[in-house]
Amino acid sequence: MDPFHDYYGIEWYLILLTWSAIALGSHFYQVGTVVRLIRLGKDDDRFNSWKQRLTEFLRDWLGQRKVVQDKMAGYAHALIFWGFLLLVSDIVDLGTGGFLQVLLSNIQLDGIWNLIVDLGYAMATIGILIALYRRIIIRPAKLKGASIEGPLILLAILGIVLTAFIVEAGNMIDKGGTNYNSWEPIGVLFATQMEGMNHDTIANMVDISYWVHMILIGGFLIEIPQTKHSHLIGTVPNVMFQDHSPMGTMDPMQTDENDTAVKTDDLDFDNLTLGVNKFADFTWRQLSDGWACTACARCQDVCPAYNSGKTLNPMQIVLDVKDYGREHGSLLLAGDEPEESIVDRFTPDAIWACTTCYACVEACPVHIEHVPKLTDTRRHLVMEASDFPEELQNLFNNLERNSNPWGLGAHTRADWAEGLDLKIGEPAEYLFFVGCAGSFDDRNKKVSRATAKLLKKAGVDFSILGEIETCNGDPARRAGNEFLFQMMAETNVKNLNSLGTLKIITACPHCFHTIGKEYETYGGKYEVYHHSQILNELRKKEKLKIKDFEDKVTFHDPCYLGRIGGETEAPRGALGGDLIEMERHGTNSFCCGGGGARVWMEEDADKRVNEIRAKEAAKTGADCVAVGCPYCMTMMNDGLKSIGEDKQVKDISEILLENLEAET
Amino acid sequence: MNIAVLIKMVPDTESRLEIVDGSLKEDGFKYMVNPYDEFAVEQAVQFKEIVGGKVTLVSLFSDNTSIDTDLRKMLAIGADETIVLRQQGYRGDRPSANARILSETVKKLNADVVICGVQGIDYYQAATGPMVAHFLGIPHVSGVTNLELNGDKLTASRQIEGGLQIIETPTPILITAQKDMTKVRFPALKDIMMSKRKPFDNRDVDTKEGSDVLTTECSLPPARGGGVILEGDGPEGKVDKLIEKLKMEAKVL
Amino acid sequence: MTSVVLVGEVDGDGIKDVSQQVAGVAAGMGDVIGLIIGKDVSKAAMKLAAGKVVIADDEALEYYDPGRYAAIISQVVAKNNATKVLMGATTMGKDLGPRVAAELGWGYLGDCLEANNEGFVRPNFAGKVLAKSKPDGPLVASIRNNAYPAGESWSGSVENFTGDIPDSTLNTTSIEKIGAGTIELTEANIVVSGGRGLENPENYEKLIRPLAATMRAAAGASRAIVDAGWVPHSHQVGQTGKTVTPDLYLAIGISGAIQHLGGMSGSKFIAAINKDPEAPIFKVADYGIVGDLFEIVPVLKTKLENQ
Repeated sequence: MDPFHDYYGIEWYLILLTWSAIALGSHFYQVGTVVRLIRLGKDDDRFNSWKQRLTEFLRDWLGQRKVVQDKMAGYAHALIFWGFLLLVSDIVDLGTGGFLQVLLSNIQLDGIWNLIVDLGYAMATIGILIALYRRIIIRPAKLKGASIEGPLILLAILGIVLTAFIVEAGNMIDKGGTNYNSWEPIGVLFATQMEGMNHDTIANMVDISYWVHMILIGGFLIEIPQTKHSHLIGTVPNVMFQDHSPMGTMDPMQTDENDTAVKTDDLDFDNLTLGVNKFADFTWRQLSDGWACTACARCQDVCPAYNSGKTLNPMQIVLDVKDYGREHGSLLLAGDEPEESIVDRFTPDAIWACTTCYACVEACPVHIEHVPKLTDTRRHLVMEASDFPEELQNLFNNLERNSNPWGLGAHTRADWAEGLDLKIGEPAEYLFFVGCAGSFDDRNKKVSRATAKLLKKAGVDFSILGEIETCNGDPARRAGNEFLFQMMAETNVKNLNSLGTLKIITACPHCFHTIGKEYETYGGKYEVYHHSQILNELRKKEKLKIKDFEDKVTFHDPCYLGRIGGETEAPRGALGGDLIEMERHGTNSFCCGGGGARVWMEEDADKRVNEIRAKEAAKTGADCVAVGCPYCMTMMNDGLKSIGEDKQVKDISEILLENLEAET
Repeated sequence: MNIAVLIKMVPDTESRLEIVDGSLKEDGFKYMVNPYDEFAVEQAVQFKEIVGGKVTLVSLFSDNTSIDTDLRKMLAIGADETIVLRQQGYRGDRPSANARILSETVKKLNADVVICGVQGIDYYQAATGPMVAHFLGIPHVSGVTNLELNGDKLTASRQIEGGLQIIETPTPILITAQKDMTKVRFPALKDIMMSKRKPFDNRDVDTKEGSDVLTTECSLPPARGGGVILEGDGPEGKVDKLIEKLKMEAKVL
Repeated sequence: MTSVVLVGEVDGDGIKDVSQQVAGVAAGMGDVIGLIIGKDVSKAAMKLAAGKVVIADDEALEYYDPGRYAAIISQVVAKNNATKVLMGATTMGKDLGPRVAAELGWGYLGDCLEANNEGFVRPNFAGKVLAKSKPDGPLVASIRNNAYPAGESWSGSVENFTGDIPDSTLNTTSIEKIGAGTIELTEANIVVSGGRGLENPENYEKLIRPLAATMRAAAGASRAIVDAGWVPHSHQVGQTGKTVTPDLYLAIGISGAIQHLGGMSGSKFIAAINKDPEAPIFKVADYGIVGDLFEIVPVLKTKLENQ
């Protein structure tokens, strides 16, 4: 039996046509609105590197590369997704009353096509069952509070699958007795179960199943743009146009035709929007993120702010973009401004809670860029609204006046090097860029001394800048004071360029990141190395003879070195020995809580990021936590003290210095 | 309300302090707005926002133009005009001479309230304010931690040992601001940029004779202990040493 | 012979310490004419350590008023042909001095650390530079508390001021006293601060607050204990708390991390008590005691109380 007959005098295809028109009409109307909303966003030219983009699209979208990083949920989804791709042509067949099948049979391909479709439905079924099991039986913590949307969608897809099989089986039974199409194995399975039934019953089942199938599909078309299912559409541009700039790099306020930053003196303030406060201040790509989000909560899981009880939830930020767009859609498209701003929607508390660790971006399977939404709203809050935490006022004033965050006399910057007999301001192969903490903070001065001693011992030719060294501007930039950052960057580039040294070593991952990756657009192109990279090389080449440490040591990967900087091997190579690894290490490292200018801001006593990480470090049983960043040094020290753990925290250079083999 | 704010440009006290031939080497100094004067600017702008009027900044300084960025920030807080009196050979430690020059300009502004910081962080004499008040022939209240409008009068809370003296005064009046009189706002970047369009009213002024006492010699105080760990017989002995040092050497007890 | 007008201040039934100290300095410069201005001050005024004391006692002079007080001083100066006016560098002295100097057209030196016939020394740049001068003309000067020992108290002649007390538009409506122990951090001359070395919040109440009260100091805290909830944020000294510039900062059980230093390094003198000899605070402290604060602080409090 097939459902292709008339119903109460109305031909089946008329009913289908009507329903299709409604469903497709609604679908395309909604998609049209979404596209128009996204186009309200500013330009972002990602229409380049097509070959690379195609490869990435195939690997990440089709290949589900990042999705399967979470084994259970990932493979369940991959099965549903690939299954869907295999079965999707069935709708053409069902919608045309079997016409596609006929066409294919003319070229002997109908058999293989049927098999592929059945396989598709089967894969989807397995995927759905695993997913339902996960959602309803296992109930992972991260999905607590997840909307009922999820299970409903899964059940609906299951419905589509089952009804398809019933129709398929009905078709088979209809064709004749025991001549079951072995190209449709599952259809055969259903047919054998159904063949015993009364033929009228089967006919009714087929009819009902067909229309349920069509209603569900139509329903999906209507619901896709509204629910988390919008990712079906949204992930295509999102994955295709993923960010090719190095992770963690922020954009200048204004760029010229050559894509380089416009100099401070030439900035056109009358036509410059500083940061984001309105929906249309976002770029189109930042807006499309909203519709690519599947609410999978992987970003939420890894976020240090969320996990320390702060109001920031990276997933919510992304969904906020979509929700805001939908709620205020008509106003926005009419060119009006809703009373509620983007900052109001995100809430300033959430905006300031971010440490810019990029764990969210790293975890997201569909390349959503969470962090820039927060740093852009910070730019608005600092530079336009002048509404930001009081503690930052001191920070900005100190940076501007004394070029270091503590406002200490710039002329004491090189005091840490007393007695070490270092080259200061002289030409050399390398420039050791010490950074503010390494110059002024007592604990970190020891790290600078250890690093300098090691470099000297290995015969590396290096110089330090001395008094004229200034902060690289990272805290200003992450806190949203882009104007201050740009002024500092331009000054630094001028100083650095005048020295002619282009190879820089630094013990601070924030200097490593900012100077190495963000200065180029201001005219400063330098080869920047983290000291662990140099120390690793020196150790490998035996320029430094180091014996393995004997204590129990664990290494805390700094966010700006490991995940954002892409360097997880060098610190381990430099340290050598038998490191105990924390559960979250390497690019999965859990932030110490200091980045994003957070080390300069207040934090509630019951919401401490560093205590979470300190507990994790203490759990390894290590006596010493090795770090490679001055912020981590401070945060880990404080964190361990707060939780009452008597552990040591040492920089890589200090451990190496301690374990230098005695001269024979 | 017509308000005149006196602003002093002072060297950053974190600068390197070097004595050459008995004089302090000042050519390397970077100058900034005296922090106490920032409270004055903010308070003046707040009053303007409540009752309307005009806020004029008046600063006496040398022809050094490096101060422009900082002064502009004060303008961006919400002042209307900036008058900069440029004097060759300006010195910050001549309160009497400087007060005379400032009052000449301020007199012409017909201000209801003249407000400035209680002291400059360079010389800490706390003298210019009261002296300007005298030359203007108006009363003054110094060291004010809280200032409020009260109809056509002002209520000033003046800091005294162990408390506050609450004083009511009509205008015209000169007020000197004590620390934390109000919270100084961080001007929005746009406002700072906009303030670039309001040029300063730079005026040349001659040196004036005053009755100031001239410094004959500068010296650095004996090196700051640099961390003397006090030894003594047990807690008693150490504490005795500490009290002795605090009383006799530091003279803070 | 030079005449020096010494403007003294009354403290309850007696004279403020600093006024007696300045009296001693004045005695070394010439004939001293003491001057006390106020209401119901006659009995106390006689204790001023000066050969002659002029008392300006009037209803209108109950509260300090720069204009009125300066006018009285000018008249006393004129009547006695004085060429110097000295006073203590109190909140009144530091305010009155310049006004008097402007009215008399004399030189002015405020908050002097040294004052004698050889010359005067005062601090510049937050005390980082000392400036000497040798004024030869008439002069108004205020002298810092404890720069000199108190002068000998002896009764000389007493005179009632009969000059003109001008009108004033200033009207003091009240005096508000702030109880000891709740002195505002940013305004205090002495700050006693506690840190993690105190081990628990009870110890802050048991050790820090009483010591601060004894020293008439403000009580402060490091970020660590504010974060731990031992004391409110208003007590926090440091980068994200308050910046203080007292004459004396006493850091107890505070290690001295850079964020804390940023809030108090402008203090004139820093003293530290900590059991860790390597604590960074000792690098910036003028005076340090390496020891157990639980032993040292009670001893310190008792000895100061007995002074």
